[in-house]
Amino acid sequence: MKATDLSKPAGFARQIKAVLVSLLILGGLSAAQAAQDQGGLIAQGKYLAEIGDCVACHTPQGGRELSGGLPFETPFGIVYSTNITSDKETGIGYYSYRDFYRAMHEGISPNGNLYPAMPYTSYHLLTDADTRALYAYFMNTKPIRQENKASEISFPFNIRMGLKAWNMMNHEDSEFIANPAKSDSWNRGSYLVNVLGHCGECHTPRNTTFAMKPEAHFQGAVLDTFEASNITPQELNRQNWTHEDLKQLFTKGYSRKGTVFGGMYPVVYHSYSHLTEQDMRAVTSYLLDNEADIEELPLAFNGHDKDAPGYNIYMGYCAGCHGQDGEGRPNVAPALAGNATLDRSSVFNAVSLLLNGIVSQHYNSTTSFYAMPGYAEKFDDQQLTDLVNYMRITWTGQKADIRVTEVNDIRTNMKQALH
Amino acid sequence: MSQQIQMTVNDQQVGPVDVPEGLKMIEFLHEYLNLTGTKFGCGAGVCHACTVIVEGKNGVSEVVRTCISGVERFADKKVRTVEGHAKRNAAGEITELTPVQMAFLEHFSFQCGWCTSGFINETTALMERLAKAPVATANVEQVIEEALKEHICRCTGYVKYYQGVKDLILNTKGLTY
Repeated sequence: MKATDLSKPAGFARQIKAVLVSLLILGGLSAAQAAQDQGGLIAQGKYLAEIGDCVACHTPQGGRELSGGLPFETPFGIVYSTNITSDKETGIGYYSYRDFYRAMHEGISPNGNLYPAMPYTSYHLLTDADTRALYAYFMNTKPIRQENKASEISFPFNIRMGLKAWNMMNHEDSEFIANPAKSDSWNRGSYLVNVLGHCGECHTPRNTTFAMKPEAHFQGAVLDTFEASNITPQELNRQNWTHEDLKQLFTKGYSRKGTVFGGMYPVVYHSYSHLTEQDMRAVTSYLLDNEADIEELPLAFNGHDKDAPGYNIYMGYCAGCHGQDGEGRPNVAPALAGNATLDRSSVFNAVSLLLNGIVSQHYNSTTSFYAMPGYAEKFDDQQLTDLVNYMRITWTGQKADIRVTEVNDIRTNMKQALH
Repeated sequence: MSQQIQMTVNDQQVGPVDVPEGLKMIEFLHEYLNLTGTKFGCGAGVCHACTVIVEGKNGVSEVVRTCISGVERFADKKVRTVEGHAKRNAAGEITELTPVQMAFLEHFSFQCGWCTSGFINETTALMERLAKAPVATANVEQVIEEALKEHICRCTGYVKYYQGVKDLILNTKGLTY
């Protein structure tokens, strides 16, 4: 009896235990599934954050990733990027999803309006699903305690209320609308380039209120000492960029048409080199407005004109690194034949690079390019004009019609930008 | 294709002489003038072993790397190589080294010596610059670092080079205040 009596509760207990175990297993499975889902979401957010190039702007020189403090010189003063790690006191760890969404889409943080140096004017087109993935990623970044630096914006631009007026004039939180006349791949490319890549922020000229001019989308704009190139399909196709050329440039930082420099270097390093194969093709298809393969035409080398005034300057100062016939040298200097910097209607970058030089660039353990010295003190405007004209007529299809006054204007602009 | 070139090297008029296009200055020094004291190092303008001095605008000397510079760059210019520093007698024998050369000797600055001519030229140009624009004594090390930092010594003899230059600058009147 005792055993029987005891067996009832024991059997009951076993049943309860079995139910509990089942519940626990189910709960465990559900928790595991949730963790897996969360892990997938975080990984997706990390990829999106890479394409958004958050690290480049939110990492101080020599500092820790995403901890902020990198200065941005604007016409109104200096703005410092903020700490966007998950630290709850100095970062964005205390943000609710709603806070994060508003910052990304509307440029409004819990502390007030953000300066448009944060490209919410591009990010606002993010889908809700991608915004959630980004939120999951940022909330799981390593928290770094680093106080934000106060901006050094002059009056009256330091009154953040003014940004409300700017947003009313220049910003509309709308959704990304796919172009039904284009393929899914093209639209994916447009989304990556215009939204996450926020390429228009540099490559589109701005109006008097410093908002992007939609009618001049991707037509190029001067940023301090460099000009973000014209990257319209018309210009890229005129220069015979192929899908492979762009892929090489975005993954390695260099292609047969030259290297990236200035602000595009961190974009490649932190961002576009991480694109998946499929997304890369989407990006190049969108930029070239062509999904088909493109024939690679021979690079221009029109031969030397030894009587041209720029010839001796090239041979004396440039040929040592770029080669006697502009063929370049591996791991030293890029080739000049078909070089995109020369083969543009604007000579701003060609002159700017000659004046200021380029810092050395390292792309991977086996590839780098040496620093190019600046020749601002070495060449006068006439010599620079002769040299640029010589290089353009020798290695591009452009005319040698640059005038001294144009070069002088660029030099003057450069002095103002640097001081 | 050739071209005519002329310049002054170590106070000697050179040319006009026909040289092939694309000729680098270091080849011109070695092959045409037999001035082999200027050393070919990396060949890409990085190590600065091939540095020579060129008299620049307003009498201010500049240093130029000859391995990446075409001979055209030196046309009609006054050039000094390491062979042009020491005093020589009528027979061409060296009678007196410059203070820079002596400083490096006294500090046993070099080992294999490949980078030495570059260091000598760079330091000489630095001394001439300081004679026109002296620096505060406290800044001497920084000035030396700025001037010599691009020069690569594979024997890693930097300390002795830098110490030699520092002693020289601090013991030469008019370079510091």
